[in-house]
Amino acid sequence: MGIKTRALLKSPWIFHMSTGSCNNCDIEVLDCLTPRFDIERFGMLLAGSIKHADVLVVTGAATRQCIPKIKRVYEQMPKPCFVVAIGECALSRGLYIQSYNCPTPIDKIIPVDVYIPGCPPKPEAIIAGILKLINKVSDHRVTDGSEASPAARNEVRTRGIMELR
Amino acid sequence: MNRQETLNNIREKFKGDIKNFLERSPKRVYIEIDANALIPIATYIFKDLGARFNIASGLDTRQHFEILYHFTFEALDMIVSLRVILPRDKLEIASLTCVFEGANWIEREINEMLGIKFTGHPDLRRLLLPEDWPEGVYPLRRDYKEWDPNAIRDRGV
Repeated sequence: MGIKTRALLKSPWIFHMSTGSCNNCDIEVLDCLTPRFDIERFGMLLAGSIKHADVLVVTGAATRQCIPKIKRVYEQMPKPCFVVAIGECALSRGLYIQSYNCPTPIDKIIPVDVYIPGCPPKPEAIIAGILKLINKVSDHRVTDGSEASPAARNEVRTRGIMELR
Repeated sequence: MNRQETLNNIREKFKGDIKNFLERSPKRVYIEIDANALIPIATYIFKDLGARFNIASGLDTRQHFEILYHFTFEALDMIVSLRVILPRDKLEIASLTCVFEGANWIEREINEMLGIKFTGHPDLRRLLLPEDWPEGVYPLRRDYKEWDPNAIRDRGV
């Protein structure tokens, strides 16, 4: 893990993009930002512009009108970056899989790192998903590609979260 | 004017054009009308009776196409729907944009989704479909077939 990724994971700023969702997932994402769930304790902030963001949070089944826009947003994002797909629609288009307007799932348009299923997923699930991403990337740093014992991994995981706090 | 007087007025005034008058419930009335009489009836309901134009809905019933124009009488707590039946081989109807501006976008949407032509519409462009959508493909018709060879229709699991 380079210094860029390390700095990114210290305080991942998220950019929230709705690609034609019913807004239920968007409400849950907003819920995460409220004091009750408070993802700011992991250093996550909602960025106003994609050019300031480290994590792209995508909701909704990508509509035909939205597909070029998703690509454009992804291209504008500073790299390295991560993409989190939230909700059944963003994963496999859910109910809209046969829809004339949703030809492609999001992970065939841009690379997706974390999938959070649910319709909508609970805020706890969203937090768990993003933490899994952070832990996955942090693991690479400490284990350095070699196999670590489950106990050591667990230890690393806890340390990762503690560090982030 | 109470509910019964309003309905009687419509019935009396357009006796020749009303094909069917269905009072499904106290709040819901369906009036099937002749397509040529749409503009005078809609003008009467909208301008003289003071109803609000809610929305129009287009249907493909396999045998024919239908457009329902829904009008709300707020003081009477009633919705009146004007039903126009269009044969499959002649999908054309007069636009209501000249009577109320609110019909503009919904007519554009019905036009792109079902392929019904609205004569006299000022600007019958696409409303929701993307620019690269092929001409002559109407997604909400019953006989719509997948046209995009690149579409992925499995969940990948």
